Amino acid sequence: MILYEFEGKEILGNNGIKVPRSEVIENLNQPVRLKVPIVLKAQVLSGKRANSGGIIKVLKEEDVSGEIIDLFGKKINGERVNKVLVEDAVGFAKEYYISISYDTLVRLPVLTLSLLGGTGVEEREKSMYPINILEQQVVWDKLNQKGLTDTEIVNKSRSKFLNDLDLFLTNKNKKSFLILVQKLINIFFENDCLLLEINPLVITKTGEWIALDAKIKIDDDARFRHKEWNFPPRSVPGHEPTNSEVAAKQIDLLDYRGTAGSTYFDLPGDIAILSSGGGVSLTAMDALIEYGGKPANFTEYSGNPPKEKVVKLTEIVLSKPNIHGLWIIGTVAANFTDIYETLLGIIEGLREVEKKLDKKFKFPILIRRGGPREEEAFDMLRKVKDFQLYVYGEEATISQSAKIMVDLVNKYKKIIDS
Amino acid sequence: MLPKSGIRILGQGMTGSEGARALPWMMDYGTDIVAGVTPGKGGLEVNGVPVFNTVSEAISKIGFVDASIQFVPPSFVKNATIEAIDAGIKFHIVQAEKVPTKDTTYIVSYARLKGAQIIGPNTAGLISPSRKLKMGLMGGGNPQKMFVPGSIAVLSKSGSMAAEISLQLKKRGKGISWAIGIGGDRIIGSDFVDLMLDLEDDKETDCFVMFGELGGTYEERVAEFVKLDKIKKPIIAFIGGEFTMTLPSEVQFGHAGAIIEGNRGNPEYKRQVLAQAGVRVAREFDQIVGLVEEVLK
Repeated sequence: MILYEFEGKEILGNNGIKVPRSEVIENLNQPVRLKVPIVLKAQVLSGKRANSGGIIKVLKEEDVSGEIIDLFGKKINGERVNKVLVEDAVGFAKEYYISISYDTLVRLPVLTLSLLGGTGVEEREKSMYPINILEQQVVWDKLNQKGLTDTEIVNKSRSKFLNDLDLFLTNKNKKSFLILVQKLINIFFENDCLLLEINPLVITKTGEWIALDAKIKIDDDARFRHKEWNFPPRSVPGHEPTNSEVAAKQIDLLDYRGTAGSTYFDLPGDIAILSSGGGVSLTAMDALIEYGGKPANFTEYSGNPPKEKVVKLTEIVLSKPNIHGLWIIGTVAANFTDIYETLLGIIEGLREVEKKLDKKFKFPILIRRGGPREEEAFDMLRKVKDFQLYVYGEEATISQSAKIMVDLVNKYKKIIDS
Repeated sequence: MLPKSGIRILGQGMTGSEGARALPWMMDYGTDIVAGVTPGKGGLEVNGVPVFNTVSEAISKIGFVDASIQFVPPSFVKNATIEAIDAGIKFHIVQAEKVPTKDTTYIVSYARLKGAQIIGPNTAGLISPSRKLKMGLMGGGNPQKMFVPGSIAVLSKSGSMAAEISLQLKKRGKGISWAIGIGGDRIIGSDFVDLMLDLEDDKETDCFVMFGELGGTYEERVAEFVKLDKIKKPIIAFIGGEFTMTLPSEVQFGHAGAIIEGNRGNPEYKRQVLAQAGVRVAREFDQIVGLVEEVLK
């Protein structure tokens, strides 16, 4: 989960990193207490807010309320502004970029630094230094892993990190910077962050470090050990979720068993999709599109979720108008899943959803699945007469079943059009 | 690094529901599971296998152990792995999904320090038909359905897709030397390159099939090592997730590692760098077997 700036800054502030004095404005009736000069910052998840008019510096007291009204009425990179962070405008001598994140190249957390912080840092040169997670310190050489195995990287000579800092900082500021880096490393680990980014990190004329921004991404898989994480659910940067997307996300939040709906997207097509398994669902979607099919959604369920969760997901997937087919796609080499139970659950689910939505599903439903108890499952499906079922096991590959699905949908559309 | 035949294996968390179900499947396949470890369950027996409270107790009673297969819930993975590494076990398969990235990175670093190897997390394990070795859920209770002996090593971020690929190979009369789920997480113990470097010396393996996905850089690393000629055996690659390019970034598509962050993880970019390095890239999943047939001619 990505945190909003004000949430991230609260974590930083509580852990000894200086942030500007601030208040969060949640609606137009709430008065702004801070006095100019202040900065108004739209609280959205996407970056580059400054370029999209999401950050406004206000110098005159009489301009404050007008600018707040403006900001609340805006969409920044597709996201509605629901909160505005108001901060003291801070003067500074120099700005930097600093972040800590996990890097798949070295399979370690890395500290990333840039001499030039601020907007557009993506295009500038950055230096990366792996962090020893066992000692929770930056110790290894500047990241240059080309053609090296992990062991070779780790065994490389001790860091040039300290030397490199001479390029960034005067001797006076170097010491305070190292203390800051260590604090950030501690915050990163203690809060199970996946990303901790401060851009810009500034230093004032008096040598004080201040975080002017904060982008923190926390690891949802570590939720069990963070009772303090009560952040409300949210979408992803630059995306305003649809009602179905919000509803799908709720399924997993209310029941921890298995996964169903955590990833759900509405798409503009007419083929509803229920896919199971991470790798299979990706392969299936690519294949369907390759054959000219137009998916109505992406979703994935896995880890043996209970029937009720699959029914809820089925309901969301099929409640869209203009569905011309349903593709239930999974591996035919299931390791663990009881195929009979799963497919029986889906058929019962379809009947429940028909009742709930007061609809009759006449479109083709293609099931491609296999694994433990598949023969019993296929016998059961042969007796189902209230749906247009097309059932495949290992005789059809994922791609072949995609092609059959597209053909069935095209035929069905011709029939309903005529 | 990868185990030879005839190795002695310990099961951590073997008394849980998944472990107890998978145990007879592994033993029926010929895998030598010599002990189980579950804290508080010492003295029990599952499927004829004695269970101990700690790994070191197990080793002191039943002797040397080559490898551990874990059926441990995500929140216990870090301690269980450290315990097994400290007890001297060198090869570990961590199957749990949803292990915090911090814990995974810690045990991966710890294993490096102690000279141990981890496969996973978030994997269905591995199987090698000629060695009668099946560690984990890979193949479920009916592994013969898709895995027959042969010369192709299938390495996959998805356990199901390793099984699917092996099944398609079997239908065309081809078998596998290994099928290994490397895990779908952001940070994993052994990536494609680690395993390929190891299997370069495996006489049974003639070529690799790799199933990659959007996200991370493990596929790009393969291209780098092929270019440097450190990996010489032919590779056939498939990368899933093209459709995600039209959707917002920062979204996890199934596996935790299947996510575009910043400019990293684009599946088309992965295909390009792999193809430029000389890897045979299957645009469609069904082309994989044909490409394998070409290189094995």
